[in-house]
Amino acid sequence: MHERKVAVVGMGGVFPTCKNLDEFSQKIFADQSLIREWDLALAHGKKMRSSVSGFVTDDEMDLEPIYSTLIDNYPETYIDKLDRIPAENLATGDVGSIWAMIASLDAIKMAGWSDTETRSEETGVVVGSGGAGNLILKTAWHNFFELNKKTRLVGGHTIDRTMTYREAANVSCLIKNRGVCESIGSACATGLGNIGHAYRLIKFGVQDRAIAGGVEGTSLETFIGFDGMQVLSRGFTAAESSRPFDVDRKGFVCSFGCGIVALEEYSLAKARGANILGVIDNYHNNCDGDGDMFYPSFAGQKRLWNGLLKNTDIKPDVVKVHGTSTPAGDAVELLSVVDMLGDSGYHISAPKSQFGHMLGAAGAVEFITALLMLKEQKVLPCLNSVKLNEELEEFQTEEDWNGPKKPMGAYRDLLPQNTFAKSINTVACLNYGFGGTNSAIAVSKDVS
Amino acid sequence: MERQEIIAGLVEILGTVRTINKEKLADITEDTDLIKDLNTPSTEMINIVAKAEQKFDVEFDDDDIDELDAKVKSVVDLILKAKERN
Repeated sequence: MHERKVAVVGMGGVFPTCKNLDEFSQKIFADQSLIREWDLALAHGKKMRSSVSGFVTDDEMDLEPIYSTLIDNYPETYIDKLDRIPAENLATGDVGSIWAMIASLDAIKMAGWSDTETRSEETGVVVGSGGAGNLILKTAWHNFFELNKKTRLVGGHTIDRTMTYREAANVSCLIKNRGVCESIGSACATGLGNIGHAYRLIKFGVQDRAIAGGVEGTSLETFIGFDGMQVLSRGFTAAESSRPFDVDRKGFVCSFGCGIVALEEYSLAKARGANILGVIDNYHNNCDGDGDMFYPSFAGQKRLWNGLLKNTDIKPDVVKVHGTSTPAGDAVELLSVVDMLGDSGYHISAPKSQFGHMLGAAGAVEFITALLMLKEQKVLPCLNSVKLNEELEEFQTEEDWNGPKKPMGAYRDLLPQNTFAKSINTVACLNYGFGGTNSAIAVSKDVS
Repeated sequence: MERQEIIAGLVEILGTVRTINKEKLADITEDTDLIKDLNTPSTEMINIVAKAEQKFDVEFDDDDIDELDAKVKSVVDLILKAKERN
C-alpha cells in the first residue's frame, strides 16, 4: 500500500467568550485573554481556592436547559435556540456532547463532505473528554443515595449522557457515519490523543475520513477536584492568572471548551478540491514509565520528541507547548524542548496563557490554534510570561541531570509575549496528562 | 377520576417531551400508541411513567411498569389501578 497522508479539511469548536471560530481567531491573535472570574465558583466563597476560568455558559451557546419536574436542579434536556441539533439528539447528550455535535457539524460544513461521504463506512468518529465529573451524575447519585429517591426519577438518559465515550456516541448518532465510533481517554492529552488516533486510522487504511477531537463541558464538579489538589492559579487578575513559564506562576486555570477537526486521506481531499488547512506530518505518543502519576518526565518528553522526529524531516517553526502554568510542568517542558531543538530557529507558543487549560479539550483546541497559526502566518504568544527564572531549577542542580545547564531565563527569546508575524511551515504540538502520558503531533502547510 | 380526565393529564405530560410532535397530541385516543403513533423514543417511556406518578399522585409497581405497553389505554389502566390500590 502506498504511503497514505492525512489532511485536515475542517474544524469547529466551542471557545470561552466567543460565538464562533472567527471570533476565537480574532481574539487570540489580538492577544486577548478569554479567562474570567467565574460566578459559579465565587458563589461558594471560601470553600473554593480559585475562582477564575475560561468557562462557557448555556446561554452563550444558545442552549436552554429544561429542568425536570421530578427532581431539583436536573437539566432533563436542552432546547437549541438556533435549531442546530434535533430534539432526539439533545435528549441523549450532556452539555459537552451537545458542544461536540455542534462543533462536528461546523467541521463537516467547512470540510464540504457530502452526506454520502459523512455516512460512509469509511468515516469514523473519534472524540473524547477528560470527564472528571458532571452535573448529571452528581444529581442522579445525590437523589438516589442521599434523598432515597427511586432510580426512575432521573429518567432513562443517565447512562448515555455520562458514559465514557458519550461525545463520540452522540456525534455518531447525529451524523450517522458507519465506520469507527470510539473514544481515547488520556487525561489532559485526550484532545490530541483522539486526533492522533484518528490520524493513524486513516494513515493505516482503516478509514478514509474522521471527525476527531476533544471536549470538556463546563462543570463545577470537575473544577472542584482540581481546586482541592491546590493546583489552580490564584492571586492574579483573571487575565493574568494563566502565566506559563513566568517565574511567579502558581498553577493552571481550569477551563472548558471543545475542539473538533475533520481529517481526510490526502489524495481524496486533493481530488475533490478540498481546502486543506494542514497536513499531518506525524503523531507519536508514549508514557513516562517512571511510576509517577503527576510529575512530568524530562526523559519521557525527550523520548516523545525522538518518536515524533524519527525518520522524518520535521523542523518546527513553532512549538505549541502544553504550557499549563504549573511550577514543575513548564520548567521540564521548556528544557526538554530546548534540549531537542536547540535555543534558536523556532518560537514557543502557549495558548493556555490565553484561555486556560481545557483538560480533555486542551489538545484539540490547541491543535486548532496551530492550524490558525498556519493560516494566519502568525505566532500566538505566551501571555504573562513576564519574567523567567534566572536561577537554575532545583532539579537542574541534581547530580544526574543531563539536560540544559542554563536557567529558563536564558531562553527568553523563544517565548514571545505578543503575537507576531512569521513564515510558518510546520507547527509541533505537545500535550501531556496524568499517568505520565505524552502526545505530540506535527502539522504543516500543504505545499503541493 | 374519569378516563378522559386522565388522558388530558397525559397529554400535558406528553407536551413536555420535546421529541414528540405536538401537533399529534390533539388527536390522542385510548388506542394511540405512544411509540408507533407519536414516535416517542422508547427511552422516554420511563420519564413519562415517572411524571404520571407525580401528576396523579400514585406509585406504580415495578412489575406493572415492566409489563406496560405503549398504548394510552394501558397507561390509563395503570393509573386507575394504582389509584384504586392507594
